[in-house]
Amino acid sequence: VNPGLRTERLLIVTGKGGVGKTTVAATLALGSARAGLRTLVCEVNAKERITTLLGKAEVGPNVTCIEENLWAVDVRPHEAMREYALMILKFESIYNAVFENRLVRYFLRFIPSLSELVILGKILFHLKEKRADGSWRFDRVIIDAPATGHAITFLSVPQVIIDTVPPGPLSSDAQWMRDFLVDPAVCAAILVSLPEEMPVNETLELHAALTSRVGIAVKAIVLNGVLSARFTQGEFSGPYVAPELQLLIQGHSARVALTEAALTRLGELRLPITQVPRLYVQPFARPAVERVLLELAPLVGT
Amino acid sequence: MNPIVEAVRAHNVLVCVGSGGVGKTTISATLAMRSAVDGKGSLVLTIDPARRLANALGLDELGNTEAKISEETFRAAGLTPQAAMHAMMLDMKRTWDELIERRAPPDKREKILSNRFYRSLSTALAGSQEYIAMEKLWELRTQRDYPLIVLDTPPTAHALDFLDAPNRILDFLDNDAARWLLTPALAAGKVGLKLLNLGSSYVAKTISRFTGTETLQELAAFMLAMSGMNEGFRERAHQTRELLEAKSTAFVLVTGPMPERLDETVFFHTLLKQNHLEVAAVVVNRVHAAIPAGLWAQAQGLKGDLRGRVEKTLEESEFLAAQDARGIARLRELCSPTPLVLVPRFEVDVHDLGGLWGTSQYLFGDSHLEAAR
Repeated sequence: VNPGLRTERLLIVTGKGGVGKTTVAATLALGSARAGLRTLVCEVNAKERITTLLGKAEVGPNVTCIEENLWAVDVRPHEAMREYALMILKFESIYNAVFENRLVRYFLRFIPSLSELVILGKILFHLKEKRADGSWRFDRVIIDAPATGHAITFLSVPQVIIDTVPPGPLSSDAQWMRDFLVDPAVCAAILVSLPEEMPVNETLELHAALTSRVGIAVKAIVLNGVLSARFTQGEFSGPYVAPELQLLIQGHSARVALTEAALTRLGELRLPITQVPRLYVQPFARPAVERVLLELAPLVGT
Repeated sequence: MNPIVEAVRAHNVLVCVGSGGVGKTTISATLAMRSAVDGKGSLVLTIDPARRLANALGLDELGNTEAKISEETFRAAGLTPQAAMHAMMLDMKRTWDELIERRAPPDKREKILSNRFYRSLSTALAGSQEYIAMEKLWELRTQRDYPLIVLDTPPTAHALDFLDAPNRILDFLDNDAARWLLTPALAAGKVGLKLLNLGSSYVAKTISRFTGTETLQELAAFMLAMSGMNEGFRERAHQTRELLEAKSTAFVLVTGPMPERLDETVFFHTLLKQNHLEVAAVVVNRVHAAIPAGLWAQAQGLKGDLRGRVEKTLEESEFLAAQDARGIARLRELCSPTPLVLVPRFEVDVHDLGGLWGTSQYLFGDSHLEAAR
C-alpha cells in the first residue's frame, strides 16, 4: 500500500507529549516543500522550535518564507485575534478602538475557547488564500498540534462554538472550519507514537477520540525511536558472555520486543505505519531532520 | 536525608507538576504508594484525560470518587502496606455540577446548569481543568483526613496555567469591568443589550458584529445567574492559594533529562520560586544510567561479529547516558539549591504496583543512580 498523502491540503500532526511531534511536523513540511507543494508549517502557541530544527532563524507570529516552497509561523493568540478581527472588521482603526479596549478584551475572554478558535481560524484561513493567478497561496498547511488532550479540545473548538454561540459571524466561521476539518478529502491527522506501552495506549485512545468524537480522518501513524533486532535468543544466555554484557544485550532485546509489540497493537488500526529508527545524534538539528525525511518522504508523496 | 522521604514526612499535600510525557502520573502514584506502604495513608488524585493512572494501578476505571487499592493488588506485587492507599480520577463535568449544586442559590441552579456558556465552561474552557483540580484538592484536604494527598496536575501547555487557574476563574466571574457592564442589568433583574452600560454604543455594535448579538445576551444572562456566587468563588480561590502556599504543601517538579525539556523545567522552577511555593525536589525521570567501566574490556573478549554488535550497543548506551548527564548537570546548576532526584529508565513501562515499587527505590533513596560524566 502506498501511504502517500497527495491531495490533502491540511495535515494535523499530534500525539502524546514527548514523542517527537515537532520533528515529524518539521520533516513532513520539508518533504512537502521538496515535492513542489507550497507549504506552510504552523506551531500553535508554543515555544517556537521548528525553524531552529530546520536550521533557520525564528520567525515569530508572521508567516515567513524560510526556504524554497516552505513558510513557517508560530501562531499566538493575541496576534491571531487581531488578524481574525481585522478580517471581519476590515479597518485597523476600528480594531484599535474596539478590540484594544480593556472592557472589550474582558468580554471576549468570556467567549468559550475564543483564543483556540482564532488560532485555528487563522491557520485555516491560509488555506483559502489565493495568489493573483488564482492558484492557492499555500498548497498545503501542516499543524504541529498540541498533545493528546489539548489536541482534542483544540480541534473540537469549532463544534463547541457551533453548539454554544448563537448564529452570527463567529458561528458561521466555526461552521466552515468544522466542515473543513471533517472532510477526509482535504484534511488528515497523522499520529506520532513511540514503541512504549503508554504512548501506544494513548495513540489508540487518540485515534478513537479523533475519529468518533471530532470526526477527523486519521490517515497515518509515525512510530519514532524504532529499534531493530541485533541479537539472537542464544546470545544473551550463553555462558561465554559476562553477566553485565548479558544485561546490556537483554536490555536491547527488551526494547526491540517493545517495538514489535507496538507494531502489533498499532497494526489493529489498519493504517499505514511509517517507522523512524532511533537516532543517536546531538544536537538534534537539520541533518537529523534530513535523515528522518528519508523515512517520511513517501508519506508526503515524494 | 533523601529529599523525597523528607517531603512525604513533612507534608500533607504534594503537587506534582511538569510538562506532558515525562511520567508525572507514574511519579505521583509512586509517591502515594510508597507513603502507604511505609505507614502514612495516602490518596493520589489525577486529572489526566488519558486515564493513565487507572492503567498504572491496574484499575479498569476510576470514578469521581476515591477508590481503595485492594490488599490483593498489593499482595500480588509482594507488598504489605501499613496504611491504606486510595486513588481517584477527577471527572470534570461532574465536579463542576456538584460545585454549582452546592453553591448556587436554589432558584438559579437550573438556569446555570442549562446555560450554554456553563456547559462549555465546565467541559471545554481552557483553564477550567486546572481550576477544578484545585477545587477538588481543597475539598479533599478540608473534608477528609488523608495524611497525604498527591495531586497529579493536568499536562498544561503552559506552566502558568496551573498556578493562575483560580485567579483566571475569579477574573472571569468577578471583575470591575464586568460589574460596570452589568450593574444596570443586575439592578433591573433582567438582561438585554440595551440594558448594559454599553447600551447601543459604537463599541457594543462592533462587538456584536464579531460575535452576534445573541451571544452577548446569553453571556450576560449567564453572568447574571452566576453573580450571586462570586463571593464564594473569591473566597475559595483565596483558600486554594493559601493551601498551595501552606507549609504543609510542597511541589515536586517532574521532568526528563532530554535537552528539549530543559528550558521548560527551569522556567517552571523559577516560576514556583517566584510565587513563594516550596519545591521539595526536581525528579529527573527516565535517566539512562552510566555504563559500568569494564564493559568495553569484556566486549573485547567476545568472538566473531558479536563483539561488533555489542560494541555498537555500548556506544549507543554511552551516547544516551552522556546526553542525559549533560542535561542533569545543567538542571542541577539552574535549579540550585533545589535537590535533584534521579530515577532510571526502566526497560519496560511501569504499569503496576511492582513497577511503582521499583521506581520508589530510587525516588526514596534506597538505590542511587549514577549519571555519566
